Amino acid sequence: MVPLSYYVILSAVVFITGVVGVLIRRNIIIILLSIELMLNATNINFVAFSHYFQNIAGQVFVFFALTVAASEVAVGLAIIIALYRSKSTINVDEFQLLKW
Amino acid sequence: MKFTLTMSGADLLLLLPEILLTTWLCVVLAVDFVWPQLRKDRLAYLSVGGLAVVLVTLFWFDLAGISGTLFKHMFVVDRLAIFFKILIVGTTLLVILASMDYVRRFRFFRGEYYFLVLMSALGMMFMSSANDLLSVFITVEFSTFGFYVLVAYLRQDLASNEAGLKFFILGIFAAGLLAYGISLVYGETGKIVFSDIASASATPGLVIGFLLIFAALGFKIGAVPFHAWIPDTYHGAPTPITAFLSIAPKVAAFAILLRMLFVSLATFKPAWVVLLVAVSILSMTYGNIVAIAQRNIKRLLAYSGIAQIGNVLIGLAAGTKMGSDAMLFYLLTYLFANLGAFAVVIAVGNVIRSDEIEDYSGLNRRSPFLAFAMLVFLLSLAGVPPLAGFIGKIYIFLAAIDEGLYTLIVVGLINVVIALYYYLVIVKKMYINEPVDPSPLRISGPMTAVVYVGLAGTIILGIYPRPFIDWVVGATLMFSNLVGPTASVLPPTVLPFGG
Repeated sequence: MVPLSYYVILSAVVFITGVVGVLIRRNIIIILLSIELMLNATNINFVAFSHYFQNIAGQVFVFFALTVAASEVAVGLAIIIALYRSKSTINVDEFQLLKW
Repeated sequence: MKFTLTMSGADLLLLLPEILLTTWLCVVLAVDFVWPQLRKDRLAYLSVGGLAVVLVTLFWFDLAGISGTLFKHMFVVDRLAIFFKILIVGTTLLVILASMDYVRRFRFFRGEYYFLVLMSALGMMFMSSANDLLSVFITVEFSTFGFYVLVAYLRQDLASNEAGLKFFILGIFAAGLLAYGISLVYGETGKIVFSDIASASATPGLVIGFLLIFAALGFKIGAVPFHAWIPDTYHGAPTPITAFLSIAPKVAAFAILLRMLFVSLATFKPAWVVLLVAVSILSMTYGNIVAIAQRNIKRLLAYSGIAQIGNVLIGLAAGTKMGSDAMLFYLLTYLFANLGAFAVVIAVGNVIRSDEIEDYSGLNRRSPFLAFAMLVFLLSLAGVPPLAGFIGKIYIFLAAIDEGLYTLIVVGLINVVIALYYYLVIVKKMYINEPVDPSPLRISGPMTAVVYVGLAGTIILGIYPRPFIDWVVGATLMFSNLVGPTASVLPPTVLPFGG
């Protein structure tokens, strides 16, 4: 039996990896992947807590989180493709038309 | 772990406005699909008709006092939710009328535009009814998806695409924070319904969880320090969408914040008041100071919007029944004035194809009506009597005085002066400078209607606010038990973060 705290630590590590990825990586696809990591850290937490409390609400949340993540990627890739067609790059530092 | 769902006809009645709107947006999509030759103006009027029906239903709900909860308390209908829904549906209706000319600029998917606007409106209606953390997450995401697409809608315009990308990345980053925050709160309490969380004690997980949730909602309302996406997104997005984005999602996010702070976290009030005071001061000061330097009117309105949100937060920081009344009233005045100002920007931009403040020179010669309307909206945003914004600001400051938040009021008053300065710079350009091209501006019928609605709202709320104040006071009756203790009475252990 793995104690609850192990799951929480795992999810915290995954979440922080995601946050750091968003902040330091410059490739939009990698940024998208990092955000997926953040959402999946949430899922680990929810499943672990749901089992701990013997309460179904956490597992229901996971299904919704997966759905949201899937639709996010659909919308996000569409925007990225539209940008790539006009600029031929997916490096976020290249997008600086709009400025102060 | 058995899950049963029982619903009766009376339960479904609570969902009637949402069911109507869902049906209607399917109709709009289907009509556009099977009848591609139909002029897109007709589609706009079809959408407006549907929204008008929803609006009438909501007013009926409000008068009949229909209330209740659904789906194990996920979805709540009360006068507060109905108030926010009326604001959202009204904004959507005006935005659709205001986008009818602008839509001709889109090369593709003109019909789907209306569908997406309606879909975002539906998401925000659910947001105002969210009563547990699961529905907060789903509805926030649901309403934002439409906006990601709408912001990037000018496909051939690089600025619009870039705005869409920036909005998207920061938006889903906020979604990640929101989800993780919710998971921590669930882990600490085992509950997700707002009223059940109220009994929780302050543990590290709960504090971090709620801070993450507030960070995500801060992104939605665009308060400093979570405002990074606002200027770029407002600048690049199609102007009607900028107008929509500057009002509706913020209103809906305030519905969630209000419920979360006043219902779930009522016991931790001293802690979140400190946070809100700080965020409010930062938003007002930063928004107003940076707005002075702006040359683009959309950017200027973006920064002035950040400052206005700071003003709304004063009401929330007061944390009393009166504070929430003042906040609701302020949102109402902000809706009319801001939407009106953006309507003028859309009308001018449709003709001169520019949003630079320099190009507003001599607007009075070219279109006295638009110049006068802009003058009224800007003065209302600044808070000059006898317009709506003045009553809104007075109301919100009075609520803060009752709670002894004097620093906040002093900063707020200083900011009124700063804001007046940059609004008057625009007024000076419109009325005193000479136009480069003195030809008169033509504006279309629906556009004029939107400007008139904005003018009517701004002036009526200013000179006869009584019925509207009664309305907001009635909408927040559920908070009448909130008589907050002042900070000095509290034991020092509960400060600063509820820990």
